[in-house]
Amino acid sequence: MKIINFLIVIGKIFINFLKTTGNLAVFLFKSLILGLRPPYYWRQILLQTIQIGYYSLPVVGLTALFTGMAMTLQCYDGFSSFTSEGAIPSVVMIAMTRELGPVLASLMVAGRLGASMTAEIGTMRVTEQIDALSSLSVNPYKYLVFPRILTGTLLMPFLVFIDDVIGILGGYLVGVYHLGFNSANYIHNTFISMSMWDVMSGLIKGAVFGFVICLMGCYQGFSSKGGAEGVGRATTNSVVTSSIVILLLDGILTFVLF
Amino acid sequence: MYVIEVENLTKSFGKNHVLNGVSLKLGKGESYVIIGGSGSGKSVLLKSIIGILTPTSGTVTINGNEMTSLPQKKRDKLMLKCGILFQGGALFDSLTVADNIGFGLVYGCGYSKKQAREVAREKLHDVNLNDDILDKYPSELSGGMKKRVALARAIATNPDIIFFDEPTTGLDPITSGMINELIVKCTKEMGISALSITHDINSLKHISDRVGLLFGGKIIWEGFNKDLWKTDNPYVRQFVTGSLTGPFTDGK
Repeated sequence: MKIINFLIVIGKIFINFLKTTGNLAVFLFKSLILGLRPPYYWRQILLQTIQIGYYSLPVVGLTALFTGMAMTLQCYDGFSSFTSEGAIPSVVMIAMTRELGPVLASLMVAGRLGASMTAEIGTMRVTEQIDALSSLSVNPYKYLVFPRILTGTLLMPFLVFIDDVIGILGGYLVGVYHLGFNSANYIHNTFISMSMWDVMSGLIKGAVFGFVICLMGCYQGFSSKGGAEGVGRATTNSVVTSSIVILLLDGILTFVLF
Repeated sequence: MYVIEVENLTKSFGKNHVLNGVSLKLGKGESYVIIGGSGSGKSVLLKSIIGILTPTSGTVTINGNEMTSLPQKKRDKLMLKCGILFQGGALFDSLTVADNIGFGLVYGCGYSKKQAREVAREKLHDVNLNDDILDKYPSELSGGMKKRVALARAIATNPDIIFFDEPTTGLDPITSGMINELIVKCTKEMGISALSITHDINSLKHISDRVGLLFGGKIIWEGFNKDLWKTDNPYVRQFVTGSLTGPFTDGK
């Protein structure tokens, strides 16, 4: 009896997973198919560009700066035991561009932007503003979802690039001004082992993660129901799901890209 | 000639059958009010008629166009000839009053923002509001003002039909009276046909030409405003008098 109950629970979870995946696929398909057809809402695209690109800069920049600094300190602590301090600039650069840049920037953007996207669209859903859009002959998928997914996918690589640069700069500041590295040597060691692919792979990850954050943010917002509590639940789901999917995809993409 | 014809409309959510074959007709320039208790399916009926919900079966014809088989582009054009006043106003929080009222004109009718602003100014006067609120956001307005701005948005495209979803819910008696007057103005002076749902008896008295009572997913009584107060139908009697005993509450 216990085994049957256990199987029932597993079955329900699996069916729910399939249902959500199916709904998400339909949602994405509708948004892309409708969004690619004219008319295009350029003003919405511009607003999202400012919201996603410009307003995310401080949080992404600060995270990168302190991550680069902390990493250099931690590496110095470990590497000095093997007198391999000269490798620190390269390690910081590779870690920032391949891994920490895209993942940390995306997690920060998921927390900031994914949450606000879900809360905004969710509130619009429960206060009938999305119904009002349809009644005014404006398709909500085209007006609300497509501009967000488009700008999120295109702008996230830029944010990741800025994150990389600031992270490496943070490492440089700690290395040169705190640990006493020679400035020219530090810069030389940073770029000596750098390949274009290190940076590119991070940017590709950024684009994928940006797409995931905006898709999840919009989908959870659209699925909100039940007033303020429902919007709150959707917002939590959006951030948690985006973060898990980002980490999961990071593993998969690292296998594929390297 | 009817502007809206609903035939045997049904709508189910899983095993929950909310509408079980609703039929009604709205004449040109007429004001038809659907009444019914909370949870009777009034909002579902309204949303199924305007296409926000897809009916399970049945047909909805607006201005001679069968809605379920209408291509999206034609449907969008038709919707611009229908204004909707949502229960909570449903004004866009991120847009100013001017942008809210002009939204359908800019995105649906190809107006420039400047032209739409002029229409917004004119429509604000129609709903007895000053144009000094044009640049305010919905959060800066009172409940009654929001409702009137929403009404201005609903009439901005000069629609043939307006749908009112609980137009006076949550408003004080004076503001409710003001909204009722504006609805009458829309139907009698502007010649707009109106389909409303409400459970506000006072509003019903003022705005309706004909009334339909929705119960158990069907219109169980239909008649003119004057007949509503004379009928012996026990459902109507209980609803109008607000009595605690009667068919609505039997078995509860």
